[in-house]
Amino acid sequence: MNMIEFRNVTKIYENNTTALKNINLIIKKGEFVFLVGPSGSGKSTFIKLIIKEVEETSGSIFVAGRNICNLKLSRIPQLRRNIGCVFQDFKLLPNKTIFENVAFALEVIGKPGYEIKIQVSQVLKLVGLYDKINSYPHQLSAGEQQRVSIARAFVNRPPILLADEPTGNLDPITSEGIMKILSRINLIGTTVLMATHDKNIVNSMRRRVVELEEGEIVRDQKRGVYGD
Amino acid sequence: MVRPGYFFSETFSSLRRNFFMTCAAISTVAITLFIVGLFTVIVYDVMGIVNSIKSQVELAVYLEDGISSGLKDYIEQEIKSWEEVESVKYVSKEQALEKFKEQNEGSDILKEIDGNPIPASFEITLKDPEKIDQVALRFYDKDGNYINGVNDVIYGKNYVNKLFSITAIIGVITIIIIAVLLLAAIVLIFNTIRLSIYARRKEIEVMKLVGATNWFVRIPFLFEGFFEGFIGGIVSIILLYFTGNFLLIRAERLIVDTMRIKEMAIVGSSGIIIYVYIGLAVLGGLIGLFSSGIALRKYVKV
Repeated sequence: MNMIEFRNVTKIYENNTTALKNINLIIKKGEFVFLVGPSGSGKSTFIKLIIKEVEETSGSIFVAGRNICNLKLSRIPQLRRNIGCVFQDFKLLPNKTIFENVAFALEVIGKPGYEIKIQVSQVLKLVGLYDKINSYPHQLSAGEQQRVSIARAFVNRPPILLADEPTGNLDPITSEGIMKILSRINLIGTTVLMATHDKNIVNSMRRRVVELEEGEIVRDQKRGVYGD
Repeated sequence: MVRPGYFFSETFSSLRRNFFMTCAAISTVAITLFIVGLFTVIVYDVMGIVNSIKSQVELAVYLEDGISSGLKDYIEQEIKSWEEVESVKYVSKEQALEKFKEQNEGSDILKEIDGNPIPASFEITLKDPEKIDQVALRFYDKDGNYINGVNDVIYGKNYVNKLFSITAIIGVITIIIIAVLLLAAIVLIFNTIRLSIYARRKEIEVMKLVGATNWFVRIPFLFEGFFEGFIGGIVSIILLYFTGNFLLIRAERLIVDTMRIKEMAIVGSSGIIIYVYIGLAVLGGLIGLFSSGIALRKYVKV
């Protein structure tokens, strides 16, 4: 089953910069894909298109077999509930505890309280932060904060997890820990797409690598490395 | 589906966070609505005064001395046949003299009266006092002279017209003041909401990211706007209640007493005050909702 499919997708921003040029790509269910390339090569745009944070200029995008291009505005929340997102800057809410930060994702979609408790505890155990449940983000290290944000992205068990430079702010050892969690999430059957320019990580994982350069796919390799 | 408690806690924590802006918005709404309410009551009461004055307006038709009873009866029948006329009362020379004596009892004037110089008259009241001009004109012939048997026609025309124009002026001024103040209230609530959107922009970003519906993001802000407007409305009601009871009623009693108006609708006693109160609370809430609605359209692109 194709989880994410891009057909002739082009994105040109209002200021006439072309972020993506005629992209064709299929990501199957359960795959772990690295999206690599230098800054400005279109990695973030690629991810933003999937969650409809930006609109494609032309072409079609399919998520779980569904064309999301002509999705009604009111259906976008539903799409996003099925896609977990992790960012370089974590996007945690500073005035909420770790539990509340993760629970927030469920509250927002209207889950009942008892279910929230169970699911949040489970996912915090998965990322190894159950003992920090009542701490605030500023009391945690950067690596721990990123694990909280992964927990929040995954608490609703979405079939797709997108990560935009999740290790961009972390040292190599901490990054390794993050990658272990992402691998574990992938093993459960979640499709993971991770944009990065972290050479070491890509090389050590040996997963599918899609390389972008100036908005075009220049390489798509099964068990690839970052390249030179 | 979503716990209502969530919205309440979000609303109130946001109101606390922007305490001064919240106070500014609430007091602007309160002052605005207070003035709206005050003017509504004043205009209503002035209309009441005008109406009761109007209902006292009479047309007096004085008859020539020595008019034949046939002509007198003819004129009376004629007046009665007009559909604008409510009632006609004939006052004979003798009755008029009696009345005059009563009104001027003990005055020197009475000594100087020789015989009966006071004419007989018809006192006419109208169903609609505004038609008084039309009716009065029927006692004149084509050349502008009084018709046969009529000596004089008297009514308080200018008096009534002045009152009408005063009411109209008050109405226009009121509308201008109210419009300006409403605009100020809307701008202030708009700004408060904008600030609290700014304060919560990170939260909103995360909400959208994890798939919150548009309404889920908007509702706390709409609550906030509604709350500010509604509380403003309540404060204005309290202000109006005290002003109405302690100032307005006294002022209007004074007017009524000096102008010798019989029946009067005054604040408190007038039935509209409760509707004014309800209207102010509802209007406050609506202003709040409306302003936060605009702010949301502008600043929360979901």
